[in-house]
Amino acid sequence: MLTVILIAIAIFAALYMAWNIGANDVANSMATAVGAKALSLRQALIIASILNVCGAVLVGKHVTATIQGSIVDTALLTDHSLVLGFLSALLAAGIFVTFATWKELPVSTTHGVIGGIIGFGLIEGGIDLVKWGSVGTVAASWMLSPVAGAVIAFVTFKIIAYLVFGTKDPLNSAKKIGPVFIALTLFIILMSIFSKTNVGEMLGYTTSEYVLFTTVISLIIGIIGFFIFKNILGEGYDVVESLFRRLQVMTSCYIAFSQGANDVANAIAPVSVVLLLTWGKIDTAYLLLLGGIGISIGITTWGYKVIRTVGGKITVLTNTRGFSIDFGAATVVLIASKLGLPISTSHTVVGAVIGVGLARGLEAVDLSVVKRIVYSWALTLPVTILLAIVIYKALQIIF
Amino acid sequence: MPIRAPVKDTYRKKSPFTGLLEHMNKVKEGIILLREGVLHYIDGDYEGFHKLAEKLDIIEHEADLIKGNIRAHLPSSVLMSVDKRYFLWVLREEDAILDHAENLAHMLDMRPTKIPIRLKEDFKAHMGLVAETVEEMEKAVENIKHLIETVFSGKERNETKAYIKNVHQKEWEADQKGYEITEKIYKMENNLSPMDEYHLLKMVDWIDDIADHAENVADWLRAIIAR
Repeated sequence: MLTVILIAIAIFAALYMAWNIGANDVANSMATAVGAKALSLRQALIIASILNVCGAVLVGKHVTATIQGSIVDTALLTDHSLVLGFLSALLAAGIFVTFATWKELPVSTTHGVIGGIIGFGLIEGGIDLVKWGSVGTVAASWMLSPVAGAVIAFVTFKIIAYLVFGTKDPLNSAKKIGPVFIALTLFIILMSIFSKTNVGEMLGYTTSEYVLFTTVISLIIGIIGFFIFKNILGEGYDVVESLFRRLQVMTSCYIAFSQGANDVANAIAPVSVVLLLTWGKIDTAYLLLLGGIGISIGITTWGYKVIRTVGGKITVLTNTRGFSIDFGAATVVLIASKLGLPISTSHTVVGAVIGVGLARGLEAVDLSVVKRIVYSWALTLPVTILLAIVIYKALQIIF
Repeated sequence: MPIRAPVKDTYRKKSPFTGLLEHMNKVKEGIILLREGVLHYIDGDYEGFHKLAEKLDIIEHEADLIKGNIRAHLPSSVLMSVDKRYFLWVLREEDAILDHAENLAHMLDMRPTKIPIRLKEDFKAHMGLVAETVEEMEKAVENIKHLIETVFSGKERNETKAYIKNVHQKEWEADQKGYEITEKIYKMENNLSPMDEYHLLKMVDWIDDIADHAENVADWLRAIIAR
């Protein structure tokens, strides 16, 4: 009986966490697109929901293993405390992210889960049980993600400013530069999908094969883009922006897909441990589907909240700016995952907004909102650690 | 057409530059009214002038509200694409145009002074030149949206510089006209009552002030786009 209740709680906790991931992290992919009117809010929510489910179900499998053993030394704990521990970690992270989403702040759901796991590790096994290196990487991400996002977005926007707006005929320049960005963006998207997910394995490609595949496809699409852009009529800066609008939709869709693939683990990995230890068997495919659906519900119910902050409260965006931010974020996430650096997409996107602002690209950036966001990042670990401890103690009394 | 959710408009913060352009539109309206009113005044239609002066009061008040709103929403934590001090100076000088227009209107409204026939055309020309100075300034300010879009580079930057040059040219012409009228007034001093003379001189001065402030707006804009 007790096991059944635990399984029920675990599935509820996973669904709750997935809902939180959807509500908070959807801003990573869609906030700039909505802010720059590349997509309407409704379109963004629908597209993000579908792509998140696809990402989670199709390619979410490989990442679920990483979060389980890397933060606390699970080998030293009993099964019972592990079950309660992962449950409390999930609930702690969920509650924190719910609070952040309610306050419309973009936080890292990954850090929330890490904090929760550290919390029960601390209370159960003491300081030695926690692998502090992983805590260090979380702290490093606060600095690294926004700075890297800012630098790449700054440079991207400066390049657009110089090659497009600095010329005598910005529209004509945009028609020539646009396809180059299409090819580059597609290259980054495909490379990311191959290197961050297991699509490559699924298709049976080796590294050199998918690099070649990615390069060829990007070039072909770039050339097609050149001919499409060439025949676009009209004049003025609105048309320049409309060219970048198409690019922005591309990057937004990609980030939504990879978010589904990577973040679903935050909800599914802990619960799969719980199910394995209580039930003895798990079907990851169903869990991924459950996670994907939970994320979709989160996106459609509360997704607009954080989108509102990043897409409108920090600053007003146009498509060239929005594209620079998205391109910067996607590039940073790709490079970081290649180098094995810990990067949070949420943190990178906020940094990228500042980067474009520093390049004089944004009319006005509200730094007071940014300050609140940074505080919420710094609070993620302490709050989730404490919450997890409290919930773990409570669960111990009950079970 | 994509379907757009209506909530998006509720959270999109208005940019300070949009506010600046709104404020400028009020200045535009105000100066059109002032010009029309002064022409009535010069032709002796004091009743017609009074009506327009009252409308000008309302416009000045509306512009003040816009200005206050822009300032209130520019806390120190806002990172702008232009130097915030320069931006506020543009706003202040733009506002000074309407302040002076209002003062002038009140002063004229208090004393219906008969303009000597020999000065009528000069006064009209002077008012026209001052209004044109403001119009050129408006073009320069309006271009700021394009300047931001193009990150203060390329052809929009040159266009703004050209408008600023026009402002200086018109302001210079207005000055010359002002000196000319002043000289004529002094030459007529034996035929004018002291109060009439005082009032006429003041009128020249105050109309001219408006062009000076338009020029100041242009100068601060120039500072904004300086590399």
